[in-house]
Amino acid sequence: MKWLSKLYVCLIIFFLYAPVAVMVLFSFNSAESVWVFEGFSLDWYKSLLFDATMLNALKHTLIIAVLSAIISTVLGTAAAVGIEALKNRIAKKAVMTVTNIPMMNADIVTGISLMLLFVFIGKLIGLHESLGFFTVLIAHITFNLPYVILSVLPKLKQTDSHLPEAALDLGCTPIQAFFKVVLPSISTGIATGMIMAFTLSLDDFVISYFTCGHYQTLPIVIYNMTKKTVTPDTYALSTLIFASVFLLLVLYNALQTKAEKRRG
Amino acid sequence: MKKENIVELKNVSVSFDGEKILDSLDLSIKNKEFITLLGPSGCGKTTTLRIIAGFLDQDEGDVFFEGNLLNGVPAYKRQINTIFQRYALFPHLNVYENVAFGLRVKKMPENEIKEKVTEMLSLVNLSGFEKRSIDTLSGGQQQRVAIARAIANHPKVLLLDEPLAALDLKLRKDMQKELKRIQQQLSITFVFVTHDQEEALTMSDRVVVMDNGRIQQIGTPQDIYNEPQNAFVADFIGESNIVDGVMLKDCLVEFSGHKFECLDKGFEENEAVDVVVRPEDVDIVDVKSGMLKGVVTSVSFLGVHYEIIVDIGGFKWMIQTTDERFVGDKVGLFIEPDAIHIMKKSEYSGLYGDYSSYSEEMDHLSDIIEEE
Amino acid sequence: MKTKSFGNKLVASPYIVWSAIFIIVPLVIMVYYSLTDTNGVFTLANIAGIGKYKKAFALSILYAIIATVITLLLAYPMAYFMTKMKVSSQRMIMLIVMLPMWMNFLIRTYSWITILANTGIINTFLSKLGIGPVKLINTPGAVILGMVYDFIPYMILPIYSVMSKIDNSLLEASSDLGANSFTRLRRVILPLSMPGVISGITMVFVPSVSTFYISQKLGGNKTLLIGDAIEYLFNAGPDFYNIASTLSLLLMVLILISLAVMNRFSDSEEGGVVI
Repeated sequence: MKWLSKLYVCLIIFFLYAPVAVMVLFSFNSAESVWVFEGFSLDWYKSLLFDATMLNALKHTLIIAVLSAIISTVLGTAAAVGIEALKNRIAKKAVMTVTNIPMMNADIVTGISLMLLFVFIGKLIGLHESLGFFTVLIAHITFNLPYVILSVLPKLKQTDSHLPEAALDLGCTPIQAFFKVVLPSISTGIATGMIMAFTLSLDDFVISYFTCGHYQTLPIVIYNMTKKTVTPDTYALSTLIFASVFLLLVLYNALQTKAEKRRG
Repeated sequence: MKKENIVELKNVSVSFDGEKILDSLDLSIKNKEFITLLGPSGCGKTTTLRIIAGFLDQDEGDVFFEGNLLNGVPAYKRQINTIFQRYALFPHLNVYENVAFGLRVKKMPENEIKEKVTEMLSLVNLSGFEKRSIDTLSGGQQQRVAIARAIANHPKVLLLDEPLAALDLKLRKDMQKELKRIQQQLSITFVFVTHDQEEALTMSDRVVVMDNGRIQQIGTPQDIYNEPQNAFVADFIGESNIVDGVMLKDCLVEFSGHKFECLDKGFEENEAVDVVVRPEDVDIVDVKSGMLKGVVTSVSFLGVHYEIIVDIGGFKWMIQTTDERFVGDKVGLFIEPDAIHIMKKSEYSGLYGDYSSYSEEMDHLSDIIEEE
Repeated sequence: MKTKSFGNKLVASPYIVWSAIFIIVPLVIMVYYSLTDTNGVFTLANIAGIGKYKKAFALSILYAIIATVITLLLAYPMAYFMTKMKVSSQRMIMLIVMLPMWMNFLIRTYSWITILANTGIINTFLSKLGIGPVKLINTPGAVILGMVYDFIPYMILPIYSVMSKIDNSLLEASSDLGANSFTRLRRVILPLSMPGVISGITMVFVPSVSTFYISQKLGGNKTLLIGDAIEYLFNAGPDFYNIASTLSLLLMVLILISLAVMNRFSDSEEGGVVI
């Protein structure tokens, strides 16, 4: 029974990683084929370095991911604090329902509805091209916000309501009490929310697809590549992304384990 | 306002969702006294404390501190500190930083902070714990840190919201003595909130018994125990047999079909009253020499004494005695004049004092519920 | 009684304004588009015109349901076995399961072409055995496989996280009361893990029913799903925004209905997702 369950877990992992392995393998292919492996080379990685479109898209992706993560974290944390302070149950429920919409809705609907808004406003103020940097940024902030709020809210709920009172009692102004006591106790929730926002933004294709105009992010460039015949350079790029995400995750996990050990 | 009063509440009312939590409360707290607000949960004692601390605004009435109106002054501007029920220690700071918290907010120089924290930790017997993180401390140690943190700020009044409720019995007894010692050493005012009557009696200079948002009685522990003002106080503090009686004249009361001599005066002739007799003040004698006669319906052994329930004409009396009796025994009761305490009728008359539904188990259960 | 809470509800106002403009208003505009023609005149023609897309809708729902069921069947034992492991291994497996989620799903989907194509890895292998080529790519099966593959982590994780929080003493209690391991699974673990199953189902069903990339890549152009139709119409230009909005709206209503149905099974108050 024990080995059977282990076998099962291994099979699922094999299923999850088979395409990844294929991708990594063919990124080192010396030929321009993603079907037949002819020999080992790093040519595709080299050519990536000189691919201006790709590098540009990477830059765009990182800018959008960093900015949208920061802005949604600030807005979302404030929102969570405010929502938690809402005493009116109906108002609270209404806000939470709206918050859940981008998370529960299909990406394609979120993307299209935002695009319609941007085009609509663009027409109103007479813009020639209404989609671009700002529209992707707004779209990303919008779909990141619920994840930040839902990471911070439970931490706020867990925080002993007497803690800020104790800070006031010891002479803090309400604002000092927030920064000295509340913020540290919800910091893990904020960090989780921010990391989630960052990775969601890095990875997003569907919503960016409808809102980016000519401001192409990496997933858009990849999409355009896969529309034509795919060459191993796409795989090389993905392998690089995969490797960096892998490293980030390992690092994050190591730090977390260390922090837990320190806490004892 | 009298000079000796440090905090005064005048006509303070608070309601929540249409329900009155505090009903025109008047309370004067004397400087440097140890005063306890005692009552069942929901009686308004914690609300009173939170109003003094500044976490809550009263709907009506005034709060004074050293003669100055305190209404609307935020918590952080009051020279009053609080010890919270679950201590509310900052989990992200170590012991030293917790105690130093208020001093840092005041921007005290670092060397003075160090001196102060060291002094405070030694006062609460926690020297050497500076670098420990909060979650490695036991409940009793956390309690001490909370005390050190609050008194490091030199409050004139320290508010304690059921600070011992989370500790086990042994530790609770130790901390009671410790708190009393700290209060005397610092000579500041302690306002202590508890639902534990024993705790209130042992620690306090004065006890304020509260129920339904109103003060039922204020007095020394002896006053409260020996001269309860109404049936609620008599029942809440210790055990009491409370029976309906008629005051025939000064020093003569009739209850349970028998006339008793007593020491109380000043009632009208034939005034209906509540009569309190503490279980330890009743002697069990043989049937012939008893003033009242009844049948033993239950006996429990509590170590120090037996607790015996005696049915007298349908009313169940509780008697504490060191003599063993058995269920079904016919006994007589003898009550000395000084064991009888007469109270005026109140809204609580008839609600308490009969032990017919009494059982150890029920008592124990209600204790648990109250502590939650 | 005024309780002075530290948090001020006013700090939520920037977010409330934001969500009104970028969540509510876009949906209102979408409704507006679906009820008007290209000149902005009110019409019900769009709604009348969706009959053409009946097949696409039906197919999307069918594929999404099949994919969700398969995903659930694969993921549930996985999550269960994970909880039986050492805590340190559990953590590792969690990471391993999550990792592909952070890889672009376009690439993840695309690499299946390399595996499934007529000249792909499986068929190359089969031809060496003298079989084939078997038609694997551009079939409904390939589309469903793509959905299962892309979204299975979203099923494993919520089920695992709910299951791993089940109090061990409950399991001990059920054994104590005479349950064997199968009864225990059926009577204790299964009901207690339902919230995870529910959120897993929604997290797999919603992207499956609305996908447009997977079907294009793995289904060839033969299988037109509703996502494909919407994407196609929007790319065809502003003249088709109205009908495309109508389809999107319908898709949203479909999702809302399925969420409502799912929520009937769970009683989580905030309707949040367990991640």
